Amino acid sequence: MPIEQYAALSGLLFIIGGVGFIVRRNVLVQLMSIELMLNAANLALIAFNRSHVRPLAGSAGAASALPSHTGQVFAFFLIAAEAAEVAVGLAIVLALYRLRRTIRSDEADLLKN
Amino acid sequence: MLSLFPANDYALIAVILGMPLLGAFVNGIWGKRLGDSAVKLMTLTAVGVSFAAAVVAFIALAQGVSEQNDAHVRLTWNAWEWMHTTGGRDGQNIPIDVKFSIDQLNGIMMLVVTGVGFLIHLYATTYMAGDKGYARFFAYLNLFIFSMLVLILADNLPLLFVGWEGVGLCSYLLIGFWYESAPNAAAGKKAFLANRVGDFGLLCAMFLLAHYTGALDWNGIANGASSLVHPGEPWRVHVWPIGGGQYTGVLHFLQPLKPFTVSAATAVGLALLLGCTGKSAQIPLYIWLPDAMAGPTPVSALIHAATMVTAGVYLICRLSFVFVLSPFTMMVIAIVGASTALLAATIALVQNDIKKVLAYSTVSQLGFMFLGVGVGAFAAGFFHVFTHAFFKACLFLCAGSVIHSMHARIHDDDKAQDIRRMGGLRKWLPLTHGTFAVATAAIIGFPFTSGFFSKDEILYRAYVDRTINPMASSPLFKHFKLYEPPTWIGPVLYTAAVLAAAMTAFYMCRLYFLTFWGDFKGWTIGRPSLIAKQELGDEHGHDDHHHEDLTSPGYPPHESPWQMTVPLIVLAAFSLFAGVLNPGFGILKEKPLDHWLEPVFKAATEGAVVFGHGNDAEWAEHLEWTLALGGIGAFLFGTGLAYWMYVAQKGKPAARLAAEFPGAHQLLLDKWRIDELYDATIISMVDSLADTSAALDKTVIDGILARLTALIVAASGTILRAFQNGVVHMYAAMMVVGIAGMAWFFAVPHANATVVDAGNDDYVVSAAPGVGYGYRWDADGDGLPDQPDFAEASSVKLHLEPGKGPITVGLEVRNAFGLVKRKSISVARPQAPISSL
Repeated sequence: MPIEQYAALSGLLFIIGGVGFIVRRNVLVQLMSIELMLNAANLALIAFNRSHVRPLAGSAGAASALPSHTGQVFAFFLIAAEAAEVAVGLAIVLALYRLRRTIRSDEADLLKN
Repeated sequence: MLSLFPANDYALIAVILGMPLLGAFVNGIWGKRLGDSAVKLMTLTAVGVSFAAAVVAFIALAQGVSEQNDAHVRLTWNAWEWMHTTGGRDGQNIPIDVKFSIDQLNGIMMLVVTGVGFLIHLYATTYMAGDKGYARFFAYLNLFIFSMLVLILADNLPLLFVGWEGVGLCSYLLIGFWYESAPNAAAGKKAFLANRVGDFGLLCAMFLLAHYTGALDWNGIANGASSLVHPGEPWRVHVWPIGGGQYTGVLHFLQPLKPFTVSAATAVGLALLLGCTGKSAQIPLYIWLPDAMAGPTPVSALIHAATMVTAGVYLICRLSFVFVLSPFTMMVIAIVGASTALLAATIALVQNDIKKVLAYSTVSQLGFMFLGVGVGAFAAGFFHVFTHAFFKACLFLCAGSVIHSMHARIHDDDKAQDIRRMGGLRKWLPLTHGTFAVATAAIIGFPFTSGFFSKDEILYRAYVDRTINPMASSPLFKHFKLYEPPTWIGPVLYTAAVLAAAMTAFYMCRLYFLTFWGDFKGWTIGRPSLIAKQELGDEHGHDDHHHEDLTSPGYPPHESPWQMTVPLIVLAAFSLFAGVLNPGFGILKEKPLDHWLEPVFKAATEGAVVFGHGNDAEWAEHLEWTLALGGIGAFLFGTGLAYWMYVAQKGKPAARLAAEFPGAHQLLLDKWRIDELYDATIISMVDSLADTSAALDKTVIDGILARLTALIVAASGTILRAFQNGVVHMYAAMMVVGIAGMAWFFAVPHANATVVDAGNDDYVVSAAPGVGYGYRWDADGDGLPDQPDFAEASSVKLHLEPGKGPITVGLEVRNAFGLVKRKSISVARPQAPISSL
């Protein structure tokens, strides 16, 4: 499968996530949209990982190159970051609900002053 | 003694300079806590040790001079390297070091400053007793001694300038010492500002010297001085158009047919002269000195009579080899000196404040010194500096003693200095009277006193000397006419000087007779006093003067304590006998001071200062006695007239004259209204400029610019506030918009490039890097890409010969998405600097 298709899918997922983040008012759904965007990034990282190779020390040319794992390792880090983000995000949602009895983001207007 | 301190590393100078600085530091920082007696000890030790070290250094110098057969000897000490600059014809390196040197000229100056300084310090410790600024006063005074020593011992012009500014600062601080009263503070400010004008000249001279001679130390300037006179057009200073440019456009009418140029020597000389007129109180900048008398009297004696004001004369002597290269400048110096001597003497004729008379007398005597050095008689001018330091310091200290005793009766600063309220003081102040009489005799030229010899030498040399350009015989000037002063200038200068000398004799004797002879006129003012009471043998001391009980009788004036009279006696002795150092009329076979200073001035005066009548030495020698008659006649006439007016006729002729010519009398009393003239012209010009600036500041800066700025800030605040609504949703949306913007920025390629000069006429154009970028260059300027496909090479090298125009380089950048951006970069050689010569 060519890389363009992966990239297109990743971009589509990212746009869906972004639009969902903007248009939806439910904080939980917005959190889900963020997850979608992050996963789009993950997909792109893994896909591009295949097209990048690490040259072997002491020799030249693509023939003697090793596959690189940087993108995949990066995806793992991203998953860990997502988990932390969800933990903090849900705690904020809980705190917001206790304070305002709502989980709608347009009613969370305490950030000024 | 030269073995302990080698002549090229004479570290004893550190002691001479360091002690007064230490005194200033200790008194300035801890003076208040130490108490008056400790301050006294510190300040006297500082100056005393400095004087002792100066004597040792002078002896070493004399030894060196005799060992080297009367050569020009310098004991130098390089404290540290300061900075460097470049200048001169070849753009050579000019080191400016903190370097001091003692030679025959400033060796004497150094002795006078520390010696007379010590006596005045001793005097001041008593004179200033009880003043609440006692420690502050001596901190300033010690700092002054330090600055003055830096000024005279400096081995280069910038370091001299440091001392020059230092003494100016101390002068300012000490004139305004009693700063609570507004006139004192104003007088200090006036002195400071008048000196700034002079400093401008000195700075200009420094720049010119660095540019033309390529040196700023005395030896270097002397070696490069011949560069100052050169007939070649680029070596002359363009006065108009300034710097030698061209006026075009609307200003073309300012363009002269022929540019007005002067030789660099004249430009340097006149600029230096401006500096010297500021410091030495000559026309046109003399106005600050009389006002400077607002300071305590020891300050007037030390700074404004004996030492600081002679700095200008010292500088002219120091750079004599520069001045003689421009006979025009020499003539201007002589004319400035003679006219200042005359003008100040006329003002002194009618002043009633004892210190004002002495102040104008100082201005007048400084005029004599300028006249002396202006006609090329550097040693004579310097001799007058030397003798004047003694008799004028003595006169001022006597005046201080008189004021001190008058102040005991009259608790008023102005009235205590008014000679119309004095009279008959010789009865109560025998020592002050005697020393004042001796110093007066010296200043008016009583035969065989010190002032007689020094002044007479100046009068004589003013008549017979003639300055010619020493470069005139150089083959360079075969087709170039150098300036020659007119032949009638000598007799004119001589006549003016004799007139000034006659007036000096008159006003000094007037001062002396009014103060010390006749009847005391101070009884009717201040407290009622009974002499009888005093004659009963009441004890009285200083404390008595400070109670204001008007019912109890006061006391007549009384003599000052020994700390004040001893300096008077020493200074009076020097005023009387210092003449033996340089007596004229062939009394000694060889004049000691002339002989001592000869190596300093020999190089400068040789071929530059000659006798008139075609350098006829016999003619000049014959005239010496004849011309001395002028000086003696002036002395006899002035003294006799003063005696007749103020003693024989008891002041009636003077009153009659004043009543007969009220306009002229008032004009002299008002000091020719020069201050008013300056007020009306220069100062009001500056004031109106300041007013205009203030109005501009109020309307344009405050009214428009400041308000506009505030408006912009407020408006953008209003707009931005709308976005900060506190809704999390809105913030999130804005974040997304921002991320989208960044995504766009990374998605399109950017063709940016920088040009670097790689040397050897090569220039490297490097494109900014980016992810997945490929580059295609068009380096040959044909408008078509050099290679068909995009490549990794992110820079190209160009070769651009001097004189070739700019090359346009095309750059195409393609990024990973296949988007392409084009840009053309123009590569040009940097503009060559415009050659100054």
